[in-house]
Amino acid sequence: MIQLSKISKSFGRNPVLRDISLNVGTGEVVVILGASGSGKTTLLRCINYLEKPGSGEIAVGDLRVDCSRARRSDILRLRRKTAMVFQQYNLFRHKTALENVMEALLVVKKLPLAEARRRSVELLEKVGLGAKLDAYPSRLSGGQQQRVGIARALALEPEVILFDEPTSALDPELVGEVLEVIRAIAKEGITMIVVTHEMGFARDVANRVVFMDGGLIVEEGTPDEVFQRPREERTKQFLRRITPEANYSI
Amino acid sequence: MGAPFDIGYVFSFLPKLLETLGVTLLIVAGSLLTGLVAGFLVALPRMYKIPVLRTLSGIYLSFFRGTPILIQLFLFYYGLPEILKLVGLDLTRAPVMFFVILTYGLHTGAYAAEMIRASVEAVDRGQVEAAYAAGMTPYQAFSRIVLPQALAIAVPVFSNLVIALLKDTSLAFTLGVMEMTGKAQTLGALTQHFIETYIALAFIYLIISFTLERLLAAAERRLTRHEIRERSGSAGRFKLKRRGSYRSVWNSLAEADAGKGGGI
Repeated sequence: MIQLSKISKSFGRNPVLRDISLNVGTGEVVVILGASGSGKTTLLRCINYLEKPGSGEIAVGDLRVDCSRARRSDILRLRRKTAMVFQQYNLFRHKTALENVMEALLVVKKLPLAEARRRSVELLEKVGLGAKLDAYPSRLSGGQQQRVGIARALALEPEVILFDEPTSALDPELVGEVLEVIRAIAKEGITMIVVTHEMGFARDVANRVVFMDGGLIVEEGTPDEVFQRPREERTKQFLRRITPEANYSI
Repeated sequence: MGAPFDIGYVFSFLPKLLETLGVTLLIVAGSLLTGLVAGFLVALPRMYKIPVLRTLSGIYLSFFRGTPILIQLFLFYYGLPEILKLVGLDLTRAPVMFFVILTYGLHTGAYAAEMIRASVEAVDRGQVEAAYAAGMTPYQAFSRIVLPQALAIAVPVFSNLVIALLKDTSLAFTLGVMEMTGKAQTLGALTQHFIETYIALAFIYLIISFTLERLLAAAERRLTRHEIRERSGSAGRFKLKRRGSYRSVWNSLAEADAGKGGGI
């Protein structure tokens, strides 16, 4: 269970998040949509404190953090309850696929080597990379790298996985394999917050869609509600722009 | 000048010069050690943008990179004892070697600082974020993710730095230190076979430089085994799949071979 209450954030004088509140239930998949500059990525990065929120409260599981007086230990605990999949994969380039997944298990979770290895191999097999355990990221395609990134996030057994545009940097023909993997783990009941531009994916997988604009949540609802019957003018405009061939009846 | 050329002298000078190799290598090793420590201390305020200290680091860098090493040697050897006398410290009896290693060390420190800063900054920030997001502490992220990659990036620059230092030590004779170049001067003066001594001397420097370069190239290959290698071209150069982040090192340090770096 994730609760964000009144999260605000400014870059200098420019407000990017204005009093945002959002609840995500256990096992729920929430997709955040919005034009670039709407604050969706910043919101996601505030949840694990890669961006420092100006004010507000973040609750993940039984941990509550008041952003105006968060201590280092709070931030560390918050990060240990969450995991992130990045747009640019951000794999550790000097480590093999297997070592990438094992790293935090050894260093953060302090698991014994054999246990960390067993679990990492299992996860890499699950994302279809059982044959690439010893490959360095430079030897992997973008899609493969991102699947390692997903396995790395899963390994931490977090309360929530944050996906920051996981397919935006991929060649079009590689998007499918990554979405496939995300779809599969969504079915397992893992809580996910996904920032993406993949509308089809949002419609199929999301339990709830949140549309952001100008640092505010403009509209939220089930995919059907938001895509078929958007109430707000800004949502309609966004959907028209992103789907010029009008796949959806607006 | 002097006696007619006789190749025989070249061979007879070699062992005599090699007797002082130890002194040269002592200067190199002592200065490298001092330089790396100084470089680290100078790089930190620049990387973490600490006010005041950062400005001091800038002044340090400007001085040691902007003045000739020969002048620095004179300033430290003749000037430092005078200044320290004012605060009641008597350095007039300190061995010359102390001043030599101190000067070369601080000089090397300026280049080492830039090497350290550029190498650390060349490791892409996203990996640090990934480490943080996984719950690592800043120390863990630095030591396990940034440092190993920064080391690999630093090796080619370090290699240049060591070789430049080795060659620069030839100026220590101006303070009367009997290292290889000093010895060569003496031998030349004694026998009047100057050309032969310099040939022998150049040969020794060349062999040491070459050996160091090979050793460090091997270290670089080992440290960058995770990158895809280019088969053709000079050995040890590696092809980078994502060049952007690494390229900044080559740009910020306009070192030799920059054109080949990354094979662009």
